[in-house]
Amino acid sequence: MKALIVIPAYNEAESLKEVVTTLKEKCPEYNYIIINDGSIDNTMEICKKYGYNVIDLPVNLGLSGAFNTGIKYAYLRNYDCAIQFDGDNQHDASYIKPMLEELNKGYDIIIGSRFTNTRKNLTLRTLGSSLIEWAIKITTGQRIKDPTSGMRAFNKSMIKEFANNLNYDPEPDTIAYLIRRGARIKEVQVSMNERQSGESYLNFSKSIFYMFKMGVSILILQFFRKKDSIAKISHSKEGREKR
Amino acid sequence: MTDFLRIILIIVSFLSMYFIITRIRKSKVQIDDSLFWILFSVLILIMSIFPAVADYLTFILGIYSTVNFLFLVFIFLIIMKMFLMSIKISQLENKIKELTQKIALSEKFNEEEQRKGS
Repeated sequence: MKALIVIPAYNEAESLKEVVTTLKEKCPEYNYIIINDGSIDNTMEICKKYGYNVIDLPVNLGLSGAFNTGIKYAYLRNYDCAIQFDGDNQHDASYIKPMLEELNKGYDIIIGSRFTNTRKNLTLRTLGSSLIEWAIKITTGQRIKDPTSGMRAFNKSMIKEFANNLNYDPEPDTIAYLIRRGARIKEVQVSMNERQSGESYLNFSKSIFYMFKMGVSILILQFFRKKDSIAKISHSKEGREKR
Repeated sequence: MTDFLRIILIIVSFLSMYFIITRIRKSKVQIDDSLFWILFSVLILIMSIFPAVADYLTFILGIYSTVNFLFLVFIFLIIMKMFLMSIKISQLENKIKELTQKIALSEKFNEEEQRKGS
C-alpha cells in the first residue's frame, strides 16, 4: 500500500528537521511530502539543504490550501492513502502505522484522537473541542471525541474527494459533512506532544472565531451542501479492488 | 422633495455619471462589471429628474417621505452589490489557490522528472 504523509509547514524551520528525522526513523516504509506554505523564514533552505521531499507554494495559502496541495499530489501520484501530519513536532510518528492498519479495515478516515480512552480535562481548548463534538453528534449522530485533532488518515476515495472539490478543508466541519454523506470514520487513540517551537495557528481570539465558524458551519451551512452518497463510491468495484 | 434638493440631486447625479463613465473608460473595467454602475448612475438621474416616480412609489408603499424611499432603494442595491462582490472575491481566491497549487505541483513534477533523467 502506497501511503503519503503530508506535512504542511508554515515557518517551521526550527522543528522541521526533527520531525522529518523521527519520521524517517519510525516509518521509513512510507513516503512523505512537505508543503512549504510560502514561509518567510528559512524553512525552504532547510528542506533544500537536507534534500527533503518538498513542494514549494509561491504564496501563502493557509493550512487547508497547503494540505490540499499535498492531497492533490497524492491523487496525481496515485497514492492509496494520505496522512495529515503537523510540522511542529506535536504528532508522534509511531502512531501512523496503527492508524493505517485501522484504515485498511475499510474506513474512509481515521482520526488520531487524544480522547478515546482518556477523559478531557476541562480547559478552554477542550471546551471548544466538546462543543464541536456536540455539534457533530446532533447533526450526524456519530460521536467524534477529538474532532479538532490535526492527525488524520484518508483512504483513496477521500483523497479523490479532497483533491477535486471545493470547500474540503481538513477541519471538523468537513468531517461532519462527510459523515452525513456516509463516510466511515473511526478514531484511534494517540498521544500528542506540547508545541515546542513556532507559533500556533490559533491564539485566543482566533480560537473563539474558529469555534464560531465551525459551529455555524456544522450546524447550519453543511445542510445546504449537495450530498451524494460516498458509500456508493467507495463500496463500488473500483474502491474494493484497490483495497 | 424640495426644489433645492432636486437641483442638488440632478447636479450630483450628472457629476457621478460623468465620473463613473470616465473612470470606467480609463481603467478598462470589464463591460459586465461596469454595467451595474452605469445603471446605478442612470437610476439616480431618473430619480432626480422625475421625482414624481419616486413620490408615487413612496405613496404606494406607505413610506413616510420620498427621501426615506430613496435611502431604502439605494441601501438595498448596495447590499446586493456587496453580496455579489463577496461571491466574486471568494471565486477569485479559489482561482488563485488553484493556480498556486498548479504552479507548485508542476514545478515538483518537473524536478522529479529531471532527477529521474539524470
